[in-house]
Amino acid sequence: MFKKFFSSFASPKKLREAGILCMNSRNYDVIFKNNQRRLYPLVDNKVLTKKLANEIGINTPGLIGKIDHQHEVKNILDIISGYKEFVIKPAQGSGGKGVLVITDYENEVFTTASGRHISYAEVYQHISNILSGLYSLGGKYDSAVIEELVHFSDIFKDYSYQGVPDVRIIVYKGFPAMAMTRLPTKESGGRANLHQGAVGVGLDITTGKALRGVVRNMPVAIQPDTGADLMQIQVPYWREHLIIGSKAYEMTGLGYLGADIVLDAFRGPMMLELNARPGLAIQIANGIGLANRLKEIDTYPSGLTPEERVDYVMKKAAK
Amino acid sequence: MLKKFASVRFTLSILLFLSILFAGYSIYYKVRYWGFNFVPKQNADVWTVEAHISFEPNGDPIKVSLTTPAKSDEFKILEENIIASGYTVKKDENTSRLLLTAPKLKKTQDIYYRVMLFDNIDSRGKTKAPKPNAPKKPIFEEQRMAVSKQIIDMAKKENGDDVAQIIRFLNKVPLEPIVQSYLPMQKTPRDMVETISDLLAIKGIPSRMVRGFKLEENKKSLAPDLMIEAYMDNVWKTYNIETGDKGLPENFVVFQRGGDALIDVEGGNNSTIRFSVLKSIASSMSLANKRAKLADNKSWYDYSIYNLPLAEQNTLKWLSIFPLAILIIVLMRNVVGLQTMGTFTPMLLAMALVKTGFWSGLLCFALIVGVGLAIRFWLSRLNLLMVPRISSVVIIVIIMMQFLTVIGYQFKYDVALSAVFFPIIIMAWIIERASITWEEDGAVNAGKEIVNSLFVAVITYFIISSEYIRHIMFAFEELNLVILFIVMLLGTYTGYRLLELKRFKPLVKE
Repeated sequence: MFKKFFSSFASPKKLREAGILCMNSRNYDVIFKNNQRRLYPLVDNKVLTKKLANEIGINTPGLIGKIDHQHEVKNILDIISGYKEFVIKPAQGSGGKGVLVITDYENEVFTTASGRHISYAEVYQHISNILSGLYSLGGKYDSAVIEELVHFSDIFKDYSYQGVPDVRIIVYKGFPAMAMTRLPTKESGGRANLHQGAVGVGLDITTGKALRGVVRNMPVAIQPDTGADLMQIQVPYWREHLIIGSKAYEMTGLGYLGADIVLDAFRGPMMLELNARPGLAIQIANGIGLANRLKEIDTYPSGLTPEERVDYVMKKAAK
Repeated sequence: MLKKFASVRFTLSILLFLSILFAGYSIYYKVRYWGFNFVPKQNADVWTVEAHISFEPNGDPIKVSLTTPAKSDEFKILEENIIASGYTVKKDENTSRLLLTAPKLKKTQDIYYRVMLFDNIDSRGKTKAPKPNAPKKPIFEEQRMAVSKQIIDMAKKENGDDVAQIIRFLNKVPLEPIVQSYLPMQKTPRDMVETISDLLAIKGIPSRMVRGFKLEENKKSLAPDLMIEAYMDNVWKTYNIETGDKGLPENFVVFQRGGDALIDVEGGNNSTIRFSVLKSIASSMSLANKRAKLADNKSWYDYSIYNLPLAEQNTLKWLSIFPLAILIIVLMRNVVGLQTMGTFTPMLLAMALVKTGFWSGLLCFALIVGVGLAIRFWLSRLNLLMVPRISSVVIIVIIMMQFLTVIGYQFKYDVALSAVFFPIIIMAWIIERASITWEEDGAVNAGKEIVNSLFVAVITYFIISSEYIRHIMFAFEELNLVILFIVMLLGTYTGYRLLELKRFKPLVKE
């Protein structure tokens, strides 16, 4: 029994050899050194991120409106008039918390992504909750952002249960280091968070092709809800995905960041949000350690444009 | 950049090393010169008794006479202190009474007298004492004397030696008719002692009254307990005045022998005297001896924790265990990798468990969180805004605590009484966090977070509730400096967390 217990742990030496980045090292060696704290608000506030992204030429879902104060909540119907579908989310939320996806709206009846009908009162309440800081980091007062719904590309249709699948790219010193796509499942409640049970599929950084899939740390070959073969995933417009991630470096100045990108059927890859403290699950999805990748990128040349960096990675890592 | 971090670690290592050296020397010093021990039990026979005298001056010059313990072989006075500003203090070595005099004063007077006693249990009842003078026989009228003699005769049927026989006879239940008329109607312990003493004097046995304290840590406002000592077979033997049992009870320290009043106040009204007792940490005989020899050490000691008033010492004793608990939290989070609700929540829970007792605390915690969660789910259907909602949860927690305590008291169910020791806000946050996690990530994750937090709390509890560890952390508080630098060094630990070894296991190729 003890043997079995111990064999469920890896030896630190082997993990180090495999180049696995751990939480303490991520915080101490990577984030402290590459991300200045004063830059965090740029990525923690989605309105700000969106503004910066548009300035630098990165596509983002269109902003419909913004609600900052409780007394403005009643304006919601004016804001959304003319729109049939939209997303309400907290400006400073994290991990998909508090995101309300409305796929159909008519005569004060809202239909959510899961097909549930909700009333104006419930939407009003949801926005109030966002403003009072229920979903924001540390419970700070927040704003509600209303933006256009992403029509995610058919390519992901079979791989996702409800929610929006996205591509997470870890960008280190402006170079794309590792990537995965996150596919919502029934278990994850339509959210693209691995710890809630979404499928993570590691992607070859040079091609955007699937490497392997995991659910809750266990390898999987098919999407558990739809049965689609995960290994068939090939993210189209891969270079464009990488360029968005790479540009985020110039945009924010963060040396280590995670870019969440969605593929819109009509507008192509769009940046959804950035994260200054991206998690480590991406290593499990890829089956590769991140520490070695970061070490390698440390040797890459500096002073390149985002496009040059992407090409450098695609060429270098392909070898 | 890398160099800078390496040098942080280097600096911290040096500081840790220095703090260990300092703590090592300081511990050595305390053990060698102050007589501190590593084991709490060895300190059990050193006690600090503090008397707090207060009275209202009536306008006349003030004269206070206070009994203090006399030196004897059974206990030694390690240290005596009096805080009485504006008074001239004199000690009468023969009667061991302190005389305080002051001119006319106006405000309510507070005088503190503190004495540190070493209670030498081994020598109790064994020390040969010089024979006292034959006791003065009480001057009774004829009839009372006759009754007295009759009582002495009748007492011979009781068990025990001469003294025990008389005490037991006087305390017989129901009272012997002869005793009933002999003793005052509402007899005080003092009446009892005097009656016993009179009867013994008739028999020619010298006796004296003993005032002392049953020592219980943190107990306050004690009235002294009375016992009687009789001189038999060349030693003074102590008797319980109700049961006649021989010998000093455990943890009983004699404060005064003889029947003089504890305190006399001239020029003041409403005088009260209150005692508090602390099991002291500065221990053993060497303290007094060594300190007397090395007078220059005194200034050192004066600035240490152990010279503070007792109430503050008790608080600090409690505080000095915190850094260790914090260290455990840091280890659990950054080395083991357990995610808990809020950083210091487990520590505060552990502190509460120490006060409530382990099982009753856990039960109470489960009850409050369980009922709280149920109510919180109902609240979430009302769609309240966040701040009022959390505030409602806080109020609900308070009401639950009141309810549990009242019910617990009525049904003599002590478990429920411990509810009040849980930090209210922390409990409310646990409920709020758990219910949000429940809604967002499912019941499993919510349960996991609570279990993790409780697990860390329980581990912390077992460490901080150990009498031994608490003693060490208080006696050698310089260890907290060592802990500080360990915690800071852990802030530079970049290795794998224990649970990460499991998490990343699939990434290792066999």
